[in-house]
Amino acid sequence: MLKFIGKKILILIPKLLLISLIVFLGLQLLPGDAVTRTVSPEAYQYMTEEQLEALRDSLGLNDPILIQYFRWLGRFLTGDFGYSQASGSNIAQMLAGRLPYTIELAGWAVVIADLIGILFGFVAAVRKNKPIDHILTSGSVLGISVPEFFFGLVFILIFSLKLNWLPTGGRMAAGETGFFSRVRYMILPAFTLSIALLATLTRYTRGCMLDVLNKDYIKTARSKGLGDFVVNVKHGLRNALPPVLVLLCFRLPILVSGTVIVETVFNYPAMGSMILDAISAADMTVVMVTTMVVACVTLIASNLVDILTAALDPRVRLD
Amino acid sequence: MKKTKVEKAAASSLAKRNLQKFLNNKLAVVGAVVLLLIVLLSVCAPLLTPYDPLYIDVSQKGLPMSQEHPLGTDRVGRDVLARILYGGRMTILIGVVSALGATLLGAVLGCVSGYYGGKIDKVLVYISELFQCFPQYLLILLLVGLVGQSTRNLLVIFIATGWTGMMRIVRTRVMSLKEEPFVESCRANGIRGLSIMFHHMLPNTLGPVIVNATLQVAGYILSEASLSFLGMGVPDDVVTWGNILNAAKRLDIIQTMPVLWIAPGLAIALVVLSINFFGDGLRDVLDPSSL
Repeated sequence: MLKFIGKKILILIPKLLLISLIVFLGLQLLPGDAVTRTVSPEAYQYMTEEQLEALRDSLGLNDPILIQYFRWLGRFLTGDFGYSQASGSNIAQMLAGRLPYTIELAGWAVVIADLIGILFGFVAAVRKNKPIDHILTSGSVLGISVPEFFFGLVFILIFSLKLNWLPTGGRMAAGETGFFSRVRYMILPAFTLSIALLATLTRYTRGCMLDVLNKDYIKTARSKGLGDFVVNVKHGLRNALPPVLVLLCFRLPILVSGTVIVETVFNYPAMGSMILDAISAADMTVVMVTTMVVACVTLIASNLVDILTAALDPRVRLD
Repeated sequence: MKKTKVEKAAASSLAKRNLQKFLNNKLAVVGAVVLLLIVLLSVCAPLLTPYDPLYIDVSQKGLPMSQEHPLGTDRVGRDVLARILYGGRMTILIGVVSALGATLLGAVLGCVSGYYGGKIDKVLVYISELFQCFPQYLLILLLVGLVGQSTRNLLVIFIATGWTGMMRIVRTRVMSLKEEPFVESCRANGIRGLSIMFHHMLPNTLGPVIVNATLQVAGYILSEASLSFLGMGVPDDVVTWGNILNAAKRLDIIQTMPVLWIAPGLAIALVVLSINFFGDGLRDVLDPSSL
């Protein structure tokens, strides 16, 4: 197991490095002096030409590009992401105020999608070709066909504007910081975000579960006289889950993409709106660094799921 | 002469059987019919509505549904029905062109990767994996930010970020085809690698390629809608369903003008749903081995 985890991490590192290299080269291509991206604009204003030249030397901007890259990477790893071109704010601080909320939103969406999706898929497979199966299967096609922001808009219209049960958007009410006051703001966005993943998981769990239910060991279990529930859950679902989890780690990047849209619909100020604002302001430094951070976090998260799959399925460990 | 007739008969019976198989899938047939209908409606838009989808008439703004404007008008007085009919053209066109482009690129790269193997294969697979670990919308947004907003740029970006899935499908198929006797006999006859790849192997991968290209059209329509909803897709003066929905970013519009955003939303859902059903039916016929 340890060897497996080690191997996974070893595969991960060159990928992360390559992503960072691409982003670094992209940043080099942007107009403007690199000094403006490493010094805060206030300090930059009061510097003379000699000071700037000295700074360039001391920053190593006259060094070969590969050395610059590794230096940039080193700063990046210690949490110094540089400054925004447009507002001059520290990108690391901007991220710190936003990223946790996107992770929270995506996390809840994954939890909702997992619980409901696997349950739906399980029920549909066990009740194959019964009405409930047809309802769930066609419902899941609907779930992947309707754009998520449209679901979001409909939810806002019904639950916020007509019924007045939940807030239309935002992250929390003014002056409230407790977990339970935040949950009310989280329900609609997290549910909206989870729909596409939920639908995919339902379809996929159903397929995997049907595969497993045709296996000989299920027949053996039934002929031993075990109850339906035990056979379906302990023998069936337990064996159908690993491929479902593998699908989940492939789907994670798509879920993160969805946060950008859901955050816009619900006016939820996190990573997505930060990226959109940065694009509108042509603030490419922020866009690139943010994209890179999100890509890295997503990559690491999907690898964690991969490791989790291995923990659940002893057969994976062999290779 | 006789032989060709037999071949013809065999081919037609296969085609007949396939058609029968497709017709048995009721949802797929409904999907195909609805899809055809929507395409017809948007192609015939000028016959169905007298209004120009871009004509701004502030004196007519925010009208409810009426005889003159069946779906009312939007915030600046443009006829909503006209916008939806004309919007379908661009929306579907973007979906189809992007899917064709991405399929072509993915199929060619997949062929090369699967046939030659070795270093080329490793590099291409690695690049496709790298693409897949970026959340797709973020990558698209990043590129939109870099190259600017226009319909052409959007198409290029869609194609550049969307070929990876197709490449993997074709690559896997080509890798298994490479061991088949007919490929070996091609090679023994001295046919060049390029000709073997594109003349002899690629046609054998067409089933899954067509199915996935169809489903990809749906994916691109959804992507375009989402991006235009965010205001990052096609420019404002191009009418697409996503662009119409862009207005629904404001709460007062969500509440007071529901038709304005529900109608294009339903149009998108209907098209994507039909394509998905149609694609599932195609899969039964063209690619029966897959799940």
